[in-house]
Amino acid sequence: MLLWIVLFALVTSPLGLLGRRTPRPLIGWGLAVLPLSLFVLLALQIPLIASGGRLDEAVPWVPAMGLELRFSLDGLGMLFALIITGIGTLIVGYAGAYMANDAGLGRFLVYMFLFMGAMLGVVLAGNILTMFVFWELTSITSYLLIGYKHDYPDARRGAQQSLLITGIGGLALLLGLLILAAAAQQVGVSVADSYRFDALIAAGEQIRQTALYAPAVALIFLGCFTKSAQFPFHFWLPGAMQAPTPASAFLHSATMVKAGIYLLARLSPALGETLLWNGTLVAVGGFTFVFGSIVAFRQYDIKALLAYTTLSMLGGLVMMIGLGGKYGAEALVTGILAHALYKSSLFMVAGIIDHEAGTRDLNKLGALRRYMPITMVVTAIALLSQMGIPILMGFVSKEWMLKAALESSLPDPWPLVALIAIVIGAVGYIIAAWRLFRNAFLGEPSPTVQTHHLVDPKWSMLLSPAVPSALSLILPLGLLPAVSSLLSPAASAVYGAPFTFELYLYRGVNTALLISLGAIALGVLFATQQQRLAAHKIIASIDGAVVFDKLIEGLLAFATGMTRMIQSGRLRTYLLYIVLVFMLFVGTPFVAYGLDDIRFVLDENLRFYEVVVTALIPIAVIATIAARSRLGAIIALGVAGAMVALIFVLFSAPDLALTQLLIEVLSTVFLLFVFSVLPSRFASLSPAWVRWRDAFIATVFGVMMAMLVLATSSNTDFPSLAPWFLANSLSEGKGTNVVNVILVDFRGFDTLGEIVVLFVAVLGIYGLLRFRRVKPDVRTSGRDAQTIMPGEDPVLAGNGASPSAEHQVSAGVEPQRLRKSITEKDANDV
Amino acid sequence: MSILLPVAIGSLFAGAIYLLLRRSVVKLFLGLTLLSHGVHLLIFSMGDGLRRGLPPITAADGSTLPGTTDPLVQALILTAIVISFGILAFILALAYRANQAVKSDDLDDMVTTDRL
Repeated sequence: MLLWIVLFALVTSPLGLLGRRTPRPLIGWGLAVLPLSLFVLLALQIPLIASGGRLDEAVPWVPAMGLELRFSLDGLGMLFALIITGIGTLIVGYAGAYMANDAGLGRFLVYMFLFMGAMLGVVLAGNILTMFVFWELTSITSYLLIGYKHDYPDARRGAQQSLLITGIGGLALLLGLLILAAAAQQVGVSVADSYRFDALIAAGEQIRQTALYAPAVALIFLGCFTKSAQFPFHFWLPGAMQAPTPASAFLHSATMVKAGIYLLARLSPALGETLLWNGTLVAVGGFTFVFGSIVAFRQYDIKALLAYTTLSMLGGLVMMIGLGGKYGAEALVTGILAHALYKSSLFMVAGIIDHEAGTRDLNKLGALRRYMPITMVVTAIALLSQMGIPILMGFVSKEWMLKAALESSLPDPWPLVALIAIVIGAVGYIIAAWRLFRNAFLGEPSPTVQTHHLVDPKWSMLLSPAVPSALSLILPLGLLPAVSSLLSPAASAVYGAPFTFELYLYRGVNTALLISLGAIALGVLFATQQQRLAAHKIIASIDGAVVFDKLIEGLLAFATGMTRMIQSGRLRTYLLYIVLVFMLFVGTPFVAYGLDDIRFVLDENLRFYEVVVTALIPIAVIATIAARSRLGAIIALGVAGAMVALIFVLFSAPDLALTQLLIEVLSTVFLLFVFSVLPSRFASLSPAWVRWRDAFIATVFGVMMAMLVLATSSNTDFPSLAPWFLANSLSEGKGTNVVNVILVDFRGFDTLGEIVVLFVAVLGIYGLLRFRRVKPDVRTSGRDAQTIMPGEDPVLAGNGASPSAEHQVSAGVEPQRLRKSITEKDANDV
Repeated sequence: MSILLPVAIGSLFAGAIYLLLRRSVVKLFLGLTLLSHGVHLLIFSMGDGLRRGLPPITAADGSTLPGTTDPLVQALILTAIVISFGILAFILALAYRANQAVKSDDLDDMVTTDRL
């Protein structure tokens, strides 16, 4: 069923294109049936999950390597899946109304459905590789949604930033997950199981002992922190507010940014309970929490303000995972639910205000209470929940966060750090919420906003924020036992062992309650006194986005410089790289294993003529290099080829010798023909130090190859393949000339490939030589005509035998210049 | 194995690399030729020992003769020789055309084919 849920969400995404039809609001709510049906389907499983059960499904692919599509549903997955499909239903309906006049609604809805499927895949995956695939898919769909208004530079910039940041994080995450699996394999988990979440959690204790634990955690942190916008990777989230408001409400408050939280929570039982894990999470989460809430109340754009409070809350949730223990788990799942409800509602309200009043700027709004009373009530409830005012869901959530800090078993500074962070964060929330509410709904009407047609939107738009807002109030008042039974299995999954807990609003006076009330009082004081802390200006001035842009600029400049340096456009430079890398790889084993196994022996049966033949090869090579004239080089080259052929003759390879001689003769004929048109003498083109450097590299390379031959021939670890071919030649290949049988039978496809290569070479040569004759039109333009026509002369006139430099010069475009340069080259001849 | 053949192979490779790193197209060609010789002998040396006067054939009834040499490397080299010939012929044609187009043997002068 889980597989079908994910598939259904992905496969039905093209239905979003129905959004191109009118009437739009109805299409939105009509398509909302899709996520709603998934929500209902999942909700039907609640009794099973609440009773401690779980669903597990797998489609094996390569079981031996742990590659499979595995989905499982437990408490944590259920909580997230319900939020995704539930909020998703509201968002899709809302988007239909919000974007009723937007021609791209269809495209937008397709992206949204794709994203929803990907997100469901992340939270339902039971295999870390399955999870990773969907994780990346959420990054890509998020990119498409943020860049939805692609004709705006800000949208493109925001989209690119988020993709780069989450993409880099994704790579780190993949590496971290693979290291994690490797660690599991080290402690005895089978390869097939080592990619499964449940197996990893079961082996958590041993994994934490391995040396791979720290790098795996560091990389997984990088992946999760980028995804969940933790400091210092937070800046892409405000940038992502360029997405249409429905996408912001869905992705960047309720779902995608919580993927990092989800994964941390999911892996917490496997990797938690170490100072590395808990300490880092509390420190990073706590800082993000405080940072976000302080920066938030400086914002004028409602969406930016909400983005920073989201950032802050994500930090708070990360901190809860860090605090650990049962209370940490309880606070985490409660916080996720509370935040998803009030923040999605607030984002949608921001969209409504933008839609109706035409602006989201808090300085330009005011007195909306007179025109949009229902919107005001919806906003007020959600804001009160965010502020953590009693009897709302946010209050319960904050109560539990305080409890988690107070009851934490972490070593000393951390619980206190968390406690202070929560109090400062809570104060910041109140100031931010108050600022939003006062500037938007209270005061006098702003002159910049046209008020005569300002009214509450239609139900099709208002319903979506109203539902989660109302739930923020209804759930704590009447449904806490039901909520507890939903959250208990989720908290159990985070904690690692089954347990149940009861949420409550009030159960006597305790420390948490007092701190909570104190924070509220402090916040109200600050908010109403209009006082501004000096500190927040400094913190807010750290604009990560600017730093990021500078980093990217620097990276591009670095890449350009490297490219200029490495990609010289010269063949010999590239060859040099290849040779050096080759030497590095061939040379390393020699250095690593020493030269002890290499035997330097002189064959006692060595004949005189063998010595001569073999010794002639180095001499011929040196002669080829040192030759000043082309003809000398060709002769020396011919000697080398002939000696190679003789070696084949001497050591029982008659076929090779025959072929080699034939080819040698042909090559020489071709060479003489072609060289006849080239200058007869070599010019010395490179400076002396380059020649010495190349000579050195070449010598080292040659010595290395000689050593390689010696080393391989000294090696007797591998049996020869020869006896098999000899034994099976007649029976399998019907021939006694074994070399021929191998060529045409055993390795027949090699020979086919050889024929293809020859054929391609022939085509190429034909094309090259024919080309000049099919371009007569070029000659009509003066300069080109001079270049090409004389080039034909030496060949056509049979003048090839003495193609002197003078001839070349007389044919040249700029005879004076060429004559000069060639004379110079001749003078420099080695 | 005798020390002589490895020295010959090493010298072929060294000469090939030196010539390949030159600016002249002709030297590039010479280097490639030496490189293919070196590779052929390298493969040859990888066989089941070098033997004199023992052709890689079996008896008429298919039984293995008392002394034979490794047929596999010979088959591989045979393929390699023909392929390297094809490539060298192509390079030659290319050098010929390039010389016609830019009137130079220097690879650094070949910055454009527009004049072709």
